[in-house]
Amino acid sequence: MEKFKVLEIKESIFDNNDKRAELLRAELKQDKLFLLNLMSSPGSGKTTTLVSTINHLKDDLNIGIMEADIDSDVDAHTIANTGTKVIQLHTGGMCHLDAEMTKQGLNGLDAKSLDLVVLENVGNLVCPAEFDTGAVKNAMILSVPEGDDKPLKYPLMFSIVDVLLINKIDTIGVFDFDIAAVEARAKKLNPNIQVIPISARTGEGIEQWADWLHTQVHAWQNH
Amino acid sequence: MHELGVVIEVVKTVSEFAKTHQLQKVDTIVLQIGQLSSMIPKYIEDCYPAAVDGTPLEHTKLAIEVIPAEAICKQCHQIFNILQHQSKCPDCQCEDWGMLSGKEFLIKEVIAY
Repeated sequence: MEKFKVLEIKESIFDNNDKRAELLRAELKQDKLFLLNLMSSPGSGKTTTLVSTINHLKDDLNIGIMEADIDSDVDAHTIANTGTKVIQLHTGGMCHLDAEMTKQGLNGLDAKSLDLVVLENVGNLVCPAEFDTGAVKNAMILSVPEGDDKPLKYPLMFSIVDVLLINKIDTIGVFDFDIAAVEARAKKLNPNIQVIPISARTGEGIEQWADWLHTQVHAWQNH
Repeated sequence: MHELGVVIEVVKTVSEFAKTHQLQKVDTIVLQIGQLSSMIPKYIEDCYPAAVDGTPLEHTKLAIEVIPAEAICKQCHQIFNILQHQSKCPDCQCEDWGMLSGKEFLIKEVIAY
């Protein structure tokens, strides 16, 4: 009979990734590169929002985009049409990106000379919230047709993001969507969350959002 | 499948642990999963074979200990299971409580040669 022993680990599953994410953030600080992790459910308008954001900021900042999807490159094509540097990352069935994959993406994008990189995470409100990508700030989009109960259903996502964009507010007349209720529910989970209502289609609110992002990039590069 | 990515992370962590501690063979990985951790033990077990396939842990067994979701009532200090009592103190019906356990997702230990 072989002798066996019990070795205690007592480590959270997310520890390894958390450490890699911290290292990546330190590198980003050195390179004066701001990484935004953008999350949402599928179809909330992430890519359309990105296109309007790029158009607002491209004269002031060097921007790069990382598109993460399980498969396909339709989003990367849409972004490439704006003339912005873009890389498509395939997660191969995985429902989220971790810090390691994010780092590989930044290398592939050759991001060192850029000011701002936006990571468009896999469309999903569960797993991306659990894995720190190493981003400087986290943002999420909730679109009006999805409903105002989402902070109740996906509390972790709402509690880890710095900013919540409420998209498609041009459709608010058609849906039963209470912006004030969403804001109250989100703030209960996360008192510091910034809530910005936008419409990527009509451009409403995009300026306020782009200003927020610009201020964050500036602060990261200069302090 | 939300669990697969997490299980792959477990396999990575244990593989590294086995290397640093020069373990010849890891017989069993023991996980602790809280009832409110957003991971479902059944799904973890289902995707585990796919996560270890082709790795040194291919023949390693998996054991899961479920940690109950317990809370202490802030009014009467009763300790109760959050899921069994629908997030309400069974004694005084108070909904103001502090969570004691149930959100864990830990690699507790490995049994190894």
